[in-house]
Amino acid sequence: MKLNIAASNSSKSLRNRILQDPSFGIVALLAVAILAMTVLEPSFATGGNVTNIINAMMTVSFLAIGMTVVLIAGGLDLSVGSTMAVTAGVAGNFLSYGMPMGVAFLWALAIGMGIGLINGLIITKLGIPDFIATLATLGIGQGVILLWTQGVPILGYMNDAYYYIGGLKKIAGPISIPMIVVVVISVGMAIILKRTKFGLELYAVGSSPISARNAGVNVDAIKISAYAISGLLAAIAGIHIAGRTTTVPPLIGKGYEISAIAAAVIGGASLLGGKGRVIGALLGALTLTLTRNIINLIGIESSWQAIVTGSVLIGAVLANRASSEFGRKTFRRGKS
Amino acid sequence: MRNQSKLSKIISIEGVVILAAFVLMVIFFSLNADSFLIPDSIRYYINEAVPIFIIIVGLTFVIIAGGIDLSIGSVLGLSAGTSLMVSMWGWPFWVAVIVGVFTGLAFGLFNAVIITIFKVNDFIVTLGTLYIAAGALTVITDKIQLIGTKDTNFQRISDMSFLGLTSSIWFALVIVVIFELILLKSPFGRRVFATGIGEVPALISGINTQRTKFGAYLISGGLAGFGGVLLASHLNSVQSGLAGGYELTAIAGAVLGGVSLAGGRGSVWRAIVGALFLTTLNQGLLLMGVNPLIFQIVTGLCILVGVVVDRGVYKFALTFSTQTREVNSQILDRKKVSL
Repeated sequence: MKLNIAASNSSKSLRNRILQDPSFGIVALLAVAILAMTVLEPSFATGGNVTNIINAMMTVSFLAIGMTVVLIAGGLDLSVGSTMAVTAGVAGNFLSYGMPMGVAFLWALAIGMGIGLINGLIITKLGIPDFIATLATLGIGQGVILLWTQGVPILGYMNDAYYYIGGLKKIAGPISIPMIVVVVISVGMAIILKRTKFGLELYAVGSSPISARNAGVNVDAIKISAYAISGLLAAIAGIHIAGRTTTVPPLIGKGYEISAIAAAVIGGASLLGGKGRVIGALLGALTLTLTRNIINLIGIESSWQAIVTGSVLIGAVLANRASSEFGRKTFRRGKS
Repeated sequence: MRNQSKLSKIISIEGVVILAAFVLMVIFFSLNADSFLIPDSIRYYINEAVPIFIIIVGLTFVIIAGGIDLSIGSVLGLSAGTSLMVSMWGWPFWVAVIVGVFTGLAFGLFNAVIITIFKVNDFIVTLGTLYIAAGALTVITDKIQLIGTKDTNFQRISDMSFLGLTSSIWFALVIVVIFELILLKSPFGRRVFATGIGEVPALISGINTQRTKFGAYLISGGLAGFGGVLLASHLNSVQSGLAGGYELTAIAGAVLGGVSLAGGRGSVWRAIVGALFLTTLNQGLLLMGVNPLIFQIVTGLCILVGVVVDRGVYKFALTFSTQTREVNSQILDRKKVSL
């Protein structure tokens, strides 16, 4: 009898683990969408279209990973889009003056990280709500790049190496440098979040800043680092997008903060803090990109895109919610 | 010592600091920008900002109840589109008004249901409806060019003149007064504050917090709808993307006016002063001939400084009122209301 219970428990636990996985709802949704498209639309599952989708999701992936880190720490970063635009401008502009590529990129990375640090300092040291502080830096960043470029796109900085970095030229078959960078950053970030003390402290700060402080965590330092990471990843996205689009219009980053938040939240991150995973951010970015791709393929007018995106956002969050409720219920039943 | 405490008392009255900053700014611009104080120019830019004043009223309810509504800007744009469309089809003006207001109410209802019944995060839900409303307007303007109705009654909704002010401004004034009274004097208003201060204590004291939030989102949606009607009547043409970004100006204005994003603190008139501050700042800079590309930077810095000052004053007011308990019953009363 005892054995029986143990056996049924272990089989239940596997099922529960799948059902209770925070990304179960969105994976199920994606699987249904992909299956349906593969059956209904012959041009969907072709190699060309798949590489298209993967290339298109790179920029949002970088931003979404950074956003996830900030959301885990209980913050919110609205400035990622404008940070991306500023750093893309820096990379392009410095290159066009003949600066060596490595130095120009280092400048871009440093400036992105610097903006993140400033965000973190304003939020923790001045006690301004995350939403307001990063809304202000969004405006300031956008104003800076508008003023700097006087509204004229930056161009004439592309060289052969940058085509590779932007992913316009592939290094082997369909593999491009951005893909490798995304994989490396994702794996590295996942390890940091799951295996290091810093990662643990990030979740602790986001779940309950007061308990974290009582447990001896330097809450301010953790939050500032989260924003710095987000700024750094926004800079990487900036360097990438400058290469992918070959020109930098001043408003290049407009709306990307929304995509990043949407991707992170679809992937299971919570605006209440303490929740979120790198794989979730990638799934979220995939969901958004796939939505756009499907709209194009099945010939819905592009004016419907915003409606579909908004509905997918709400639908995905509802699906995640429903699946976690369902998982919890089965878990409880299994226990009793 | 006595003087000092009097000064402290005045500073501690909420809204005084932003009001003082506003007055200082007006003085500065009237000295430095020639045409700043011309009545026509003031009437003009206030009239242009009426939609923001109207959505900020509903937004204040939502924020005080502890929520956020990002969809108001694009809902306002969509309502402008639907009401103008109906008017262009030849329906009488009051049908157009009803259609516009109900467009807003429908989105308010949708937000309210998803947020309070399905318990999904308010930021995400209203972000989604922001997309949906903006997209719906794009779909409409793709099919029909909303370039003007022939119905003069519809145009007159916003542009009648009464005692030297346009009817738009009068509508905004009436809405501000009515909703300020509802917020500060009615049982519903007290429930809004209680919900924002803390849902658990509010629940324990018998307040249906979800129903209160539901009401706040409905108000926000309905007012966005009405603001859209006024905007459509004023512009008499609607393009896709209309009123996008209004929500950010409104949120920034509300926060500058001391409406706390944590909920439970604020009032309609202070939010309006905050919005007035931002719009006047833009107008003044424009008249001074400052490069418009700088506006965003200045606005961003203003928001940061404003919030820091507001927080400092609020903390100061709290310590002051706890230290000298006997002197100022007024502040203590206010503390009871707004803490």
